[in-house]
Order: sequence, then structure tokens, then C-alpha cells
Amino acid sequence: MSTSRDWLAERVPVSIEGLAAMSNEPVPYHLKRWWFALGGTPAYLFVVQIVTGVLLAFYYQPAPATAYESVRYITEDASFGWYLRGLHKWGATLMIAAVVMHQMRVFFTGSYRKPRELNWMIGMTLLTCTLLLGFTGYSLVFEQLSYWGATVGANISDSVPIVGPMMKQLLLGGEVYNDRTLSRFFILHGAVLPVVLILVLMMHIGLVRLHGVTELKFEGEEEKPARYFNFFPEHFYTELIIGLTLMILLSALATLLPVGMGPRADPLVTPDVIKPEWFFYTAFRWLKLFSGTTAVLTQGLIVFVFFFWPFIDDWLVRRFKYADISVWVGVAGALTIMGFTMWEALVAH
Amino acid sequence: MAHEHHLPDADPPAEREPSRRDALGLSSTALMVAGLAGGYGLFAWVSARFMLPPRTGEVHQLFVTGVGELAVGSTLLYRTPDGRTVNITRLAATGRADDFIALSSTCPHLGCQVGWEPQNNRYFCPCHNGTFDPSGKATGGPPGDAGQSLPRYTLTVQKGLLYIDVPSEQLSVPVQAGIVDVVTPQGPGHDPCLTCLQPRSRAGSGEEPA
Amino acid sequence: MTLDQKRWVIGGLGMLFLLSLVAVQWLEVSRRAHETGDRRASAASTPATSRQCVDCHTQVSRGIVDHWTGSTHAEKGVGCVDCHKAEARDADVFSHYGAQIATIVTPRDCARCHPTESAEFGQSHHSKAGNILASLDNFLAETVEGSRVAFSPHSPTPGKAVQAVNGMAPANSGCQQCHGSRVAFQANDGGLVTMNDLKPDQNGQPTNMDAVGRIVKNESGKPLLSSTSWPNTGIGRINLDGSLGSCAACHSRHDFSARRARQPENCGKCHLGPDHPQKEIYDESKHGVAFRDLIGEMNLDARPWVLGRDYSAAPTCATCHMSANTRNGMKVTHDPGERISWTNRPPVSLVMDTDANHSVVTETDPQKRRVAIADTADAKRNRMKQVCSTCHTPDYINQFYRQYDDLVIHYNEKFAKPGQAIMSALATNSLITKTQYDEEIEWTWYYLWHHEGRRARMGASMMAPDYTQWHGMFEVAERFYMKLIPEAREITAAALRGGRAEPARRVNAVIDEILNRPEHQWLLKGAEEQADAINREMQRRYGQTRQER
Repeated sequence: MSTSRDWLAERVPVSIEGLAAMSNEPVPYHLKRWWFALGGTPAYLFVVQIVTGVLLAFYYQPAPATAYESVRYITEDASFGWYLRGLHKWGATLMIAAVVMHQMRVFFTGSYRKPRELNWMIGMTLLTCTLLLGFTGYSLVFEQLSYWGATVGANISDSVPIVGPMMKQLLLGGEVYNDRTLSRFFILHGAVLPVVLILVLMMHIGLVRLHGVTELKFEGEEEKPARYFNFFPEHFYTELIIGLTLMILLSALATLLPVGMGPRADPLVTPDVIKPEWFFYTAFRWLKLFSGTTAVLTQGLIVFVFFFWPFIDDWLVRRFKYADISVWVGVAGALTIMGFTMWEALVAH
Repeated sequence: MAHEHHLPDADPPAEREPSRRDALGLSSTALMVAGLAGGYGLFAWVSARFMLPPRTGEVHQLFVTGVGELAVGSTLLYRTPDGRTVNITRLAATGRADDFIALSSTCPHLGCQVGWEPQNNRYFCPCHNGTFDPSGKATGGPPGDAGQSLPRYTLTVQKGLLYIDVPSEQLSVPVQAGIVDVVTPQGPGHDPCLTCLQPRSRAGSGEEPA
Repeated sequence: MTLDQKRWVIGGLGMLFLLSLVAVQWLEVSRRAHETGDRRASAASTPATSRQCVDCHTQVSRGIVDHWTGSTHAEKGVGCVDCHKAEARDADVFSHYGAQIATIVTPRDCARCHPTESAEFGQSHHSKAGNILASLDNFLAETVEGSRVAFSPHSPTPGKAVQAVNGMAPANSGCQQCHGSRVAFQANDGGLVTMNDLKPDQNGQPTNMDAVGRIVKNESGKPLLSSTSWPNTGIGRINLDGSLGSCAACHSRHDFSARRARQPENCGKCHLGPDHPQKEIYDESKHGVAFRDLIGEMNLDARPWVLGRDYSAAPTCATCHMSANTRNGMKVTHDPGERISWTNRPPVSLVMDTDANHSVVTETDPQKRRVAIADTADAKRNRMKQVCSTCHTPDYINQFYRQYDDLVIHYNEKFAKPGQAIMSALATNSLITKTQYDEEIEWTWYYLWHHEGRRARMGASMMAPDYTQWHGMFEVAERFYMKLIPEAREITAAALRGGRAEPARRVNAVIDEILNRPEHQWLLKGAEEQADAINREMQRRYGQTRQER
């Protein structure tokens, strides 16, 4: 036994103890409050998406003539195809929900504040990547809403000043949806965005490790002595529990609310109601309330505020001398977003 | 790595009872490992099954010919939708399915096409002189030496019509329809040379629409 | 939560995850099993001999290929050539892109794979429907309505160059589309070449080669069918190979759907209208009402489709007249005549005792009748009763048949036989011309038995009281009393005036004898008491009387 370990140690010159010490980062006790595990949740779901996505790619064909049929094959013919597709689709929904919840946790605990502003922006980048993954993923199914949603999305990006038209050309591979568009979406969805996400995620986690997790202390709470527990195995077990719970939840969703096939994309027939996926409802509703350039510009402004929030918050706190101002802004923002989402969900147009 | 605080023991009370704790610890670990291995293991199996082509076990019965149209002692060559060729030979005239035998016409030695020789009551492979008896068992040549036989297909007779069982995976190739070729060596047959005229040359053929 | 607790939780959750996957596996297996039954020819296996047909016709006449692709034929690997193939010696064979085919597929072709159905159909009246040439109906269509000889137009038709008027058009587009045409080729002498000329042998191949030589062919060698006889999918079509009928009449091509043939609309293409409104009668009846409402429970796609086992919600035409049921050994028949005990087609209904050729025995001598009969009307009725008894009790069924018999016999005795006697008397005594349909009384008599009389009888046979009464016996009675009798009297009066007293007196005697029968006495003797009763009731109920005295 020890000889084999020595054999390995000679060829992989790394100290196990050193590794253990490095990885066994102590974690603040309050992290045991489960909602601090909301960061790991989207990460785990991302892994689920990669695994199920790779499996689905065994059968998916990214060409307009055969895409829909290949998705149908997965859903109806391949063994467990319906299940893996269900996991992937529900995994996407849960991942986006988890990212949003994580962001809300970070926001309401003020963990974006100095010195963690950069990590907030990196997190915003991750959110953007996740949303784009959702958008490109749905476009691949080549149902009516896939096609028309992609067309509308590209046209919206077209209306962004200066860079808009080029963005649309980049997205569609032409002026309108054509034979090369689907391959573009597929490469974005399956290769470019996942790799970008992994790299940015590494930066994100790296920064978290470097800074350490934010200590949370409520106002008026007694100053308790700082306590920590091991990342490994304690927090790891926590993550495992979350992971398994998510798998069970995903299995249940994939089974009880299976994914079907809508009508096949028809470039000649525009459906009466075109809607994006649920996570874009807010933006969609906003764009419908205001016309054209106003809408796009205001939305750009909102995204800008989101992105640079740590600095804006800093300025606000100094200006109004009120540390918890961000909480109220956050509550208002969250309610608005939820309201807009519900509104869009309930109406046809 | 800013914090170097002492790492508290997560299970202080149980420390006092080592044996029970060990037993408990061992069984809880065992259950944990079993649960993880079982759950994710089964998931891995599901994924592997997904990657393999679906096995419906379902069999389609495809029409071959009317029972009366194949004389005793003669053979017809049938091609299944995915291109496998099958010799269907009639050996008796009771009108039941066991009059007929359907054997793959691909020689198990090196894949040449095997033909039925009524005068010798055997199947013969011209590549290396392999021979097979009417039930498909090799009797001579390299396949005989290796103890091989021709794979068999199931036939049924319903209402005087002969059907061959074809697994449904062999039925559909989504982009192009399946191929079946029926050539009756005896008696008047169709002209199997359908390669001459292409639909696009219709304009020049002078053929009026039916 | 202690470490230990966490481990337990992980273990437990892992087991739950495993269980959820077991559930997934179970769902997968049951989904597969379910799909096996539902899977149709999305995996159509096109035989190679037909692959070129499919490739080209998908572009040329896509509907044909689409119909075929969804059919049982496609599922079983039966393709275009399997049905359309023709022998070199067939009269209608031609080479089409390398395949020897014929356009028209006849019951002889279908019999290659469906011999039982083809034989049953061949012995039924359906296949004989094309032989209406010897009946009144044909004279009506071809001479009275049409013209057996082509004639010239009397003035130009703007926008169309009309050389000759085809007098056979009423028959071709009317009668023959249901009854079936006599399939004919164009002949090089301007005439037609039919089965009669070709004289096919028992393999369906022509023996008269002169006739074959007269057939007009186009440049590719395809024999040209005459528009008088094709397109035609009449159920009694007289085919060139000597076979009678067309399976496609009920099992529409190219999907040959059994499902469609089970529904009343299918039969209703022909079995409707003023002279045999079976479709309308069915729609009125409770059977039809139930069918429409419970169509979702009819299990129309079942293979096979057995009353009492696969469905029992309501009967359709096919159910009673042809389909399998649990009481007859689940046997389908393609000869609807097997279950019919009255034939209501002739002026006077006849009991369906049939001989070995499935024709009605008209012999009256009981001894000779017994010898001739091969299948009795009672046996036929019992076969029908097997269907009825899936839903109805024996008393119900037998009493119904009593009601039906009573109506038919009443019609026969009160109106049909007397009407026939009057018409016979007029003809025998030469008071009407030999030519049919040139005098009003001939149309009157035709309406009475061919239209109204049939409606009454058929309405009674299939439980449609409105057709039995208001479209039926009411109109029969009106036609008889208000038209037939007065017209006959007019003819005899004219004959008397014209110096033909003896024939007139003989006919009048026939009429008088009829009108003095008890059932007709009301007309001559009057029914004043009944009139008073009606008046009183009308006054009481509505304040309205017929006459103000």
C-alpha cells in the first residue's frame, strides 16, 4: 500500500497534507444557515446541465431541417430521452431561479460592499451568461416559439444604438433567421457560453475564497466569538444534501411535468402570441410598455445600475447617511420584477 | 486563507462512547455511501441506456407475398428495410408458416451472399464454397469448419399471406424510407431494373399523367 | 446538525433519489409498452419496387402518397406495385417508368391477398349494382333523361367548342357513380371496348385479341380509358378483367381505411336520397342519435372491431349489416344481403328466400320453392337478430320485427299490389303505351313505389317514424288516392269517349273492385262520423273548424 503511495508521490509531487490544509478552508458558522448555500446551488445545477446537455447532444442535430425531429426523437423514441430532456429543461429553470435567489441573498446581506465590488460585477456577468444560455437553449428546439422568439430577440438587440445591428448580424449570421443561424445558437449554447461561464465562475469562487465569506451580523445582535467549521466534510455534506435534494426535485418535475413538443417552426406563420421564456418576462413587459429606443435605452440604464450597484450603493449611503437604503431599493426592485413577470405571464399580449 | 481559527469538533457528546459512536458512524457512513452510490449509480445507468439505441423489443410484421405465389422448392430473396437480405425458401405445401424458412443470406464466414440451390437442396456460398443444409446449419467449407449457421427470421402466415418479423429498430431511418427488395427467381417477375429512369427526366419521356 | 446526522440525511436522500429513478424506469417501461400499440407507419417501410413510385408521386400527387403512408398497407410493407402490378397479357397493362402496371385495381387484384372478402363481396348485391342496364332506372337515365345517341348542339356555347352532346352524361355522372360503370377503352373506330368485347378468361385476361387490337393507346403505349367509364368507383363497376365491383367504393383509396368504412357517412355516399334515404333514416333513428353523441366511445380504430367486445355504444350501418359481433363468432361478412329478410327494392316487397346464386326465389309453388331455396329469410333474420340482441332483449326484438313485417305487408296489400294491378290492367288493355315514362300515370306509379313506398318501408325497417309516416305512408296514400286513382279514371274516361269501351270497362272493374275493399271503403262511402269527431276536437282545442256550416 505505502509503496503504491510512494510510487504516486514520486510521479505527482504534491503534498497531500498541504492539499488537505488548503482545501479544508474553515467556514463561518453562520454558513450553516442553509440559505448561504445558495451559491453552491446554481453551481451544482450547472453541472447537471452540462451532464444532461452533453447526453442530449448525442442525438440533437443543429440543422433547421432535422432539429425538431431530433428533439422529437429524444422525447419520444430514445430510452429515457424524455427524462433527460426534462432534467435539462427544469434544471435550466431551477438554475436561473437559484442564481437569482443567490443574488438576492448577496444583495440583502450587503456582501457586495467594499472590498467585494468586483465580485458582484463578476456575478452579474455570470447572471448574463446564464440568461443567454437559457435563451440560446430554447432556440435550439426549433418549435414555433423557438424560431419566433429568436427572431424577436435579434430584432430587439438590433434596436440597441450603435452596436445593435452588428449584434443582430452576429446572432443570426445574417439579416434574418437563415440556415446558419441554428448552428450559431448551438455553438453559443453548447461551447462558448459554458466555457465563458466556467472561467468566470472560477474567478468568482477564487475571489470568494480570497476574501472569505462575509460575516453577517444583525443590528443589535450580540457579538459572539467567531466560530468556524470544516469545509470538508461538514460543508461538503451540506452541499451533497442540497445536490441530492435538487436531483430528487428535478426528477419529480421531469416526471410530473414532462416536457412536450410544441408546433414545429414555420417561418411563414407567425403565432398569435410570441413570448420568450419566463425569465425574460420582465424585460419583455418593459419593452412593450415603452416604444423602441426609449425602451431599449431605459433597459440598458437599468442593467447598468444593476452592474455597478456596489458603487451606486456606496454613493447612496454616503449621500443619505442611511446604511440600509439598499434594502429598500432591493425590496422595491424585487417586487417590481416579480410584478412585471406575473403581469406578462397572465396576459396574452 | 485569512482565518486560522481552531476547528471545533462537530460531535462532542458522542465522543464519550467510542464503540457506539463507531458503530453509528460506520453505519451512517455506510448508508451515506450506499445512498450516493445507489442514486448516482442508477443515474449513470440511465445515462448509459440513453446513449444506446432504444430497444423496444417490438417486432413489426411485414408482408412478403401470398402463400400461393411461392412454389415448393423455390426461394425468394427479401430485403429488410435496413438492407439485410433474407432467403425465404418453401419446403412444403401445407399452407402453414412452417412450410417456409427464412434465413439470412449473408454468409457468416466473410459476408458473401448465399444462394439456394434447389438441385442440391442446399445453400451455397460461392466465395469459399461454403454449404448449408436447408435449416441453415453449415455443412461444409469455412463456415462448416467453424460450426456456424445462417441466422433465422420468424415467419407467420395469416389469411393466406406470408409475413416476416422485423424488429422495429430496423424499420425506420428517419431521413430516407426503408428499402425492401423482392425478387422471385421463378415465374414472371417484376423488372428489378428501376434505376434507368429518374423522376426528373419525366419532362422528356412524353409520359402523360395517369 | 451533527456530522452523523448529516450522513444519515445524505444516505436517506440518496435512497430517495434512487427510488425516484426507479419510478422513472417504471414510467419508461410502461411508456414503451403503451407506444407499441400506438405506433403507426411513421416508420413506413416502402418496398423497393415501390420506392420510385413514392419518390416521384410525392412531388406529382402528394395526396396519394400521404394517404398511403398512414395506412395499414404501408405499415405491413404493401406498396404501390403490389396492388397496381399487371401481367403482360392483361388488357389494361402498360409500362410506367419500368413497371408493368394498370391504373384500375379490381376485386380480382384485391383477392390476391383478401380472397375471402372478395368472394363474399362478389356474391353480394353490391357487386351486381352495375347491372342496372336491364332495369327501369337505366332507361330513365339513358333515354328519358339522356340520349343513347350523341346529338348536335342547337346553338353555340360561348367560350367552349362543343362538337357533339354526350347523351350518356346523366348516366355516367349520376347513376353509374354509385352503381358502377362498365369500364371501357376508347376504340380506334370511335367506339368503345369493354369486358363484353374482351371476353376475359378465368384469370381475367382477354381472349378476344381483335378487341385488344382495337384499343387506342397513347405514344407510351398506355391504353386510353373512355371518360364515359372512368373515373368511376361505383360499387358494382364492371371491370375489364371480368370481375364485378370496386373495393375502393367503401374502403376509399389510398388508405383503404376500415375506420371510414365503419361510419354511416361512408355508406351515405350512395344510400341516401328520395328513393332510398337510408342515411337520413339512420340519422333520425335513435341508433344514429346515439352514434353521434357517443362517437368517442365507438373505438373505430380497433382491429378487429367487434360489437359487444370493442364497443357497444351504438350501431352504425356496418355494425348491423356487415360487422363482427360477439354472438356470431366475431365474423365479418362483406355480403350485407346475408342479414336482410325483406327486399324492399321491388314495387311489392319480397321475402328474401334466396337460391344458390343468392337471387330471390320468386317461385310460388311451395314444393318447388322448398327445393330452390338455399338460404331462408328466417336464417337471414336470425343473423340480424344476433346483432340486435347485443343490446336488446328477445321480446323487444321479436315485437319490433312484428311491427316491421306488419308495415311491409300492409303497404304491399293496401297500395302496392293494387297499384300494380291497376297498371297491369291499363297495360294489358292497351290504355297506356308500351313506352315507359311517356304518360303521367307512369311517373305517378313510379313515385309511389320507387320513392315514397320505399321510404315508408325502409323507415320502418330502421326505426325512423318520420320517414315511415310523413315521408312515407302519408305520401303513398296521397299519391294513390289523389293521383293514381284519378289519373286511371281519366284514362278510362278518355277511352270511353274515344270508342274503346270494352278495355275501359275492364280497367274500371279492376279499380272498382279495389276501392270496394274494406280498407279503401272510406273513400267511396265517406267517413262523416270521423270528420265530425275531428272538427269537434279542432274546435275545442284551437277554436278552428274545417268548415263553417
